[in-house]
Amino acid sequence: MIDWGLVARVAGGGFGVTILVLVVLSVAVWVIGLVARGPESKSKETR
Amino acid sequence: MFGLYTSAFGDLTWGNIVMLVIAGLLIYLGIARKMEPLLLVPIGFGVLLVNLPLGGLMEFVDGEPVGLLARVFRGGITTELIPAFIFLGLGALTDFGPLIANPKTLILGAGAQFGVFFAFLVALLIGNAFPDFLAIGVKEAAAIGIIGGADGPTTVYLTNRLAPDLIGVTAVAAYTYMALVPIIQPPIIKLLTTKAERAIYMKPQMKPVSRRQKILFPVVTAVIIILLVPRSAPLIGMFMFGNLLVVSGVTDRLADTAANAFMNVLTILLGLSIGAFMSAEAFLKADSLVVLGLGVVAFATSTAAGVLLAKLMNVFSKEKINPMIGAAGLSAVPMASRVVQRMGQQANPQNFLLMHAMGPNIAGVIGTATAAGVFLGILG
Repeated sequence: MIDWGLVARVAGGGFGVTILVLVVLSVAVWVIGLVARGPESKSKETR
Repeated sequence: MFGLYTSAFGDLTWGNIVMLVIAGLLIYLGIARKMEPLLLVPIGFGVLLVNLPLGGLMEFVDGEPVGLLARVFRGGITTELIPAFIFLGLGALTDFGPLIANPKTLILGAGAQFGVFFAFLVALLIGNAFPDFLAIGVKEAAAIGIIGGADGPTTVYLTNRLAPDLIGVTAVAAYTYMALVPIIQPPIIKLLTTKAERAIYMKPQMKPVSRRQKILFPVVTAVIIILLVPRSAPLIGMFMFGNLLVVSGVTDRLADTAANAFMNVLTILLGLSIGAFMSAEAFLKADSLVVLGLGVVAFATSTAAGVLLAKLMNVFSKEKINPMIGAAGLSAVPMASRVVQRMGQQANPQNFLLMHAMGPNIAGVIGTATAAGVFLGILG
């Protein structure tokens, strides 16, 4: 007997969490880009 | 044999003969068609060896492995060492540059995981409709669904945890369909895009990525994903560690070993032991046909979801992306990217989409490992 509540949690919740995790990661990567490029561009300007 | 010992001929069953034909087909596809040869050849030979009776390669006595490949299977697959360490090698072979240059592509990699969850649902519905013929419960459905991620080691890892009886057929489905990406994807992409959309031009040069960004990426990714989805730790952890070995620039010897010798040893052991799990008794059943059929469904829906998500992103974005790069959100690296590159050139010879497609392609690997962690978190 299939527990359809569990199925809904896996299919809906699971896909949602996967999307959420990668969205969080993409924001983090974007922020890293801003932070990491900041000091580098400053050092280039100094040179 | 000449009254000395028993030859294997008398023990050959029709099932063995069918499996020997399948073994021949896998070896043929690998050698003659060059489809995923590094895996299909060892898998095919493993299938061949285990279906020659009395060889005892996959013999277990009282649950303990006795045969050569049984020991490899127990030590490498059951313990999860091989799929996890293959991720170490994959990390060392992967350039995250295109993904770091365009973080939006991570979302495309996530969207393409839709096929995983869709195939999970369809597998359950089919299993529920034919309970007398199929033994597909929630865990088996998850193992079938993950094929849609087009990631062999993740498929092996998750299936071993949730539905070990399906490990042979899910692995073969994942690796075979990965090789068939150039055949499966183009009709779906064409169906969902107009020629004008396929011709959308993307500048070939990407934003420069600094060494600092490349070093921070694996560390930050491991921390974020493992904190959010702890059960993805073995795969994501090894993937990011393998990449750090390369981008750090100070562990060249380790990076070289991880990407080459170590990876090659693991690939041989993985292929042979997966093939050896495909005895006639384990493979020739209705469940296997369903798994193979649903594997195509999973691949197709993942491709479609990626393309449609890219089109949706274009609605909200000033700088349009070519929606075909969404199809590369499958983990099949780099085949899916090459398909996009080829189709992009056909639609607009000025277009060089390969590096743009590599972003979602690599994101797909991360997305599939994350989806596996989510499955394990709920069902494991």
